Amino acid sequence: MAGHLSKLVSFQLSRPQSDKDEPRVGRLTFKGRSPIDTPHYVAVSSRGAVPHLSQDMMRDNTSIRALYTAVEDSSSYWSPQVIEKSSHQSQVPPAFNFPASPDESPLRKFIALQKDVLLILGTRRIPPLPCAASSTSSAISIITSLGFGMLEYTDYAEAIQKLRPDIALGMGDVLFGHKPGVKRKEAMGDRTLAWLKELISAMENEEDGTPRTALFAPILPIETEQQTYYLHALQDELKDSVSGLVLYDSASVDAIPESLRGLPRLSLGDATSPHKLLDAMALGIDAFTVPFITDATDAGIALDFSFPAHSDTNLEKRLSLGIDMWSSTFVNDVSPLLTDCECYTCKNHHRAFVQHLLNAKEMLGWVLLQLHNHHIVDGFFAGARNSIHNGSFKGDRAMFKKTYAALPAKTGQGPRVRGYQFRSEGKGGPRKNPIAYRPLDDGNKELAKVILPSPDDDAENLEQQRFPEKVK
Amino acid sequence: MFMPVATQASLKGLTPGQLARTGCNLCLNNTYHLGLKPGQETLEKIGGAHVLQGWNGNILTDSGGFQMVSLLKLAKVTEEGVRFLSPHEDGVPMLLTPEHSISLQNTIGSDIIMQLDDVIATTSPDTERMKEAMERSIRWLDRCIAAHKKPETQNLFCIIQGGLDLKMRKVCCEEMARRDTPGVAIGGLSGGEDKVSYCQVVNACTSWLPQNKPRYVMGVGYPEDLLVSVALGADMFDCVWPTRTARFGNAIVSTGTLNLRHASFANDFTTIEADCTCPCCRPEDQGGLNITRAYAHHVASKETAGAHLLTMHNVHYLLSLMGKVRAAIIEDRYPEFLHAYFRKAYGGDMTRVPTWAVTALREVGVDLLT
Repeated sequence: MAGHLSKLVSFQLSRPQSDKDEPRVGRLTFKGRSPIDTPHYVAVSSRGAVPHLSQDMMRDNTSIRALYTAVEDSSSYWSPQVIEKSSHQSQVPPAFNFPASPDESPLRKFIALQKDVLLILGTRRIPPLPCAASSTSSAISIITSLGFGMLEYTDYAEAIQKLRPDIALGMGDVLFGHKPGVKRKEAMGDRTLAWLKELISAMENEEDGTPRTALFAPILPIETEQQTYYLHALQDELKDSVSGLVLYDSASVDAIPESLRGLPRLSLGDATSPHKLLDAMALGIDAFTVPFITDATDAGIALDFSFPAHSDTNLEKRLSLGIDMWSSTFVNDVSPLLTDCECYTCKNHHRAFVQHLLNAKEMLGWVLLQLHNHHIVDGFFAGARNSIHNGSFKGDRAMFKKTYAALPAKTGQGPRVRGYQFRSEGKGGPRKNPIAYRPLDDGNKELAKVILPSPDDDAENLEQQRFPEKVK
Repeated sequence: MFMPVATQASLKGLTPGQLARTGCNLCLNNTYHLGLKPGQETLEKIGGAHVLQGWNGNILTDSGGFQMVSLLKLAKVTEEGVRFLSPHEDGVPMLLTPEHSISLQNTIGSDIIMQLDDVIATTSPDTERMKEAMERSIRWLDRCIAAHKKPETQNLFCIIQGGLDLKMRKVCCEEMARRDTPGVAIGGLSGGEDKVSYCQVVNACTSWLPQNKPRYVMGVGYPEDLLVSVALGADMFDCVWPTRTARFGNAIVSTGTLNLRHASFANDFTTIEADCTCPCCRPEDQGGLNITRAYAHHVASKETAGAHLLTMHNVHYLLSLMGKVRAAIIEDRYPEFLHAYFRKAYGGDMTRVPTWAVTALREVGVDLLT
């Protein structure tokens, strides 16, 4: 098994951690995919696409090397409500049935993902929405586009077998939204271990014995002592079946057993700013999902930072990490979002257009920002790798903290949010999307009040009557 | 030629590069919308709509007059111009005059600009008002020509009015043809009139209009309407339908329109249309994405990327349809082309082709039923 797996995936550290507070540089190689130099980001998809980006945009205008997809996104058919509502529908997610040869991933073909990008499958969307129901000994609670549901570990194992992603993340019994109690913490380790074992044995039952999916095991976001039993099992029994580790909280690196320290570490979603990313890198995390990219895009913010920071020691005030493109100061500004930026948006468009698109609520505004923001984060990671490699990370990180403040606050309106993107607070909760249209009749009364100018009124008269300026 | 509509200087989520890859080199912008956002001052400073949206192809702008029909409840028309309450700026009253419209379009810098016309619904029973609108449109054309500052770079098209009254249409055609604008639009149609009347007006107008000017029928976009209108002698068309219907999860194919939100497509792993050469349907080894109906179903109305994909497909569908139309006309086999198209669209049963289409095509010597 171990031999087969090592042909599928390998991870080499070119600069291992010398002490505990040191980042590391490595290379994750997966058969058939472009190698990924770490630290690196993993793009997050929603229903198979990076939000706002159609597949051709992602392929042609980003450098995305790895994509995270969630079973939650394709599992509407597992939700009990649906099975009740439409019994004629197949209860199997359509992606399972996608025709593919044994060495192809039906999921990759279903979402039309390009061949060179590493495909990662996990259970929940990122960031996950807190669920009302708690997990059971065999399932976690999920939210699909059709409502709440439970994801049984057997279903998840089947999904992995059927969908054949490059990397599958173990199903962790992790709570989102609140902290677990002591009893619960013990159950978390036990369940995660049980589910992981089931996944491994399901995956080893492949017909021809050739693994096509590598497994990353969860490290739980609880104290090391609380998951000792699980970690021991991971180290002793399951080591050969695990190709990497997935963390829900970067701080849990400390829990990683000595013999598993060489494995790649993916951190899901707690990096809410570039500062936090640097902190996590310093802890030795190798790969990250970066939710602030899409958050910034939706807020109309163009990210604006680089690593190492172009240091200006005489900085009076720390710089903002982004530019709020809603600002009317850009209305006539035909310069790129950032000077010298090489992204598609900056090479082809200007601030005035992006400002106009946001203001007009045209979808293209978010497309262009999403391309730019991915490019900025791509450059940030490349800079970080270089800096670690050169041994200047510590100083560069300090300089970055000194140079940049926070992301700007959201001032404009984001794109329309969908039901699976927020948790309903029940009746009487605030409206998530503003009302776009009102009855045209609203204006009738107002119109009646308007004094009609006679045909021979001149422009000056019209102007006095609050008409727009007559064009000279 | 079909022209997709990029209302507010963007074709519904597509970049100009993506739009060009659908085969488009002429798209529409709406003067009314650009006048509100980003506004004339900004357009002036930036240097027009091409620069604003980074589009190197051609742009046609309407006059803002169509919004009179669609927002009629809010608008009043006088000889001076159209007065309306802006639905965007909290009901601020605004005035659009022919001079204002042309000035805005001059600033926008579109390659084809439209005169401001007095549009009323063709179905209006008020002949007096219709006559007034037709005659006013001619007077406004004169004001537009006089106000037009860049005739050497921007082509002003007149707009024939006159409702469904062929006599009025004839007067309008003759008067406007005399003004010798670079192109002619047949206006006021697609406003709820029946298809038979529509075809009569188009057929009559094209017979009176000069041969050497492009004729543009505004607001037409259903494939069969396009094919019949071309047979009747029209050259240019625009419509928001292909892009709007894409956002509702509908894909245009040669057998009609597929509502991909329907559960029956959830497990349909074929491309949106077989042999389609659009960026979505083309196989990967030809640079395409190999998007299946199942995936389009998965993202339709759920992710905007799904809307982008179907928008590309639908725009490409209509542009490539018109390409095939042009080829058929050049090779002198348009009647055969029409036969083949309608046969496919109606599953081989020509008796299902709508009567209006059969009648209209018979007028120009194409009999679908033989």
